Amino acid sequence: MAKDRENILEKARAEGFATPSAGMKVPDGYFASFSENIAAMLPERPELTKPAATKEPRTMWERLRPYVYMAAMFAGIWLMLQMFVSINPGRSLAPVEDNPVLADALSTEDFVFDYVYPDLDERDIVDDMLETEEIDSTFELDDLFGDDTENSDQTYILP
Amino acid sequence: MASAFPKENPELVARLRDPSTVRSAFTEATRLYTEPLYWQIRRLVRDHDDANDLLQNTFMKAWSSIENFRGEAKLSTWLYKIAINESLGFLEREKRRQKVSLDDPEAANIHNISADTSLNGNALAQKLQDAIATLPEKQRIVFNMKYFDDMKYEEISEILGTSVGALKASYHIASKKIEQYFENND
Repeated sequence: MAKDRENILEKARAEGFATPSAGMKVPDGYFASFSENIAAMLPERPELTKPAATKEPRTMWERLRPYVYMAAMFAGIWLMLQMFVSINPGRSLAPVEDNPVLADALSTEDFVFDYVYPDLDERDIVDDMLETEEIDSTFELDDLFGDDTENSDQTYILP
Repeated sequence: MASAFPKENPELVARLRDPSTVRSAFTEATRLYTEPLYWQIRRLVRDHDDANDLLQNTFMKAWSSIENFRGEAKLSTWLYKIAINESLGFLEREKRRQKVSLDDPEAANIHNISADTSLNGNALAQKLQDAIATLPEKQRIVFNMKYFDDMKYEEISEILGTSVGALKASYHIASKKIEQYFENND
């Protein structure tokens, strides 16, 4: 029984049913008439026989246009920058002496100590003085700041 | 046994790609592929009239989109795909219309026995068709292509887009189910 079951597909094959028709029937002459009918039924498709539309050759202007546009864009940016520069010409630094108010303020010691030196580090000042040889390597901070550093025994150590 | 499908004809494919010869080439293709496609559809739907309508639709669809056939796939593969999609669409519509599952063995039997009036009367052939009708649709397609059309797994894989391994497994399971059906219905 089990063997019969195992061989059932082989048995069907041996009896000729393992064919495309699988034992089914069609009316006589069906395939020939079907092919004729379907050929007659196919609708016309004129678009298939129409040659594909050929592309017009591109003119010189069409080919150059993207580059021209890009060049114009960069030129525009450059002109804009030039315009900003011409609108703000006071960027150049004139000598302090040309400005009497500033020259007067800088000549006052209090102004320099109040507004210029607070931003400077003591070491920067000493470095600058060493460079200009206003002091030598034996210089001590007490000599510069007097009473303010009175209690300090700090000696500037040269780098 | 040789494959039931005609051998690929490069000259025919070239003519299908040429606008000046496409119509005559397509007519020739219909002559070549009518029978194999008919049987593939018929084994799925079993009724001759349904198979006839579906075959017509298959060729009409192929003709309406012939410009999409670029010759990259085989002509037979392309036509087979259209035919199978048409058949599966039909079965789906039928399933919805009848509100029965074709995958349900009992329902499938009732549907197919009543629909099938043109088997050649052989009991074994009839029973084999009944057994195949109990298979799920995709499994049935694989079994049909392998057993009746003797197609290679690679060819089936191209048409169904399923791996060869999965197809082998599917065919094996389908064979077992058919054997089981015969055992249960002795």
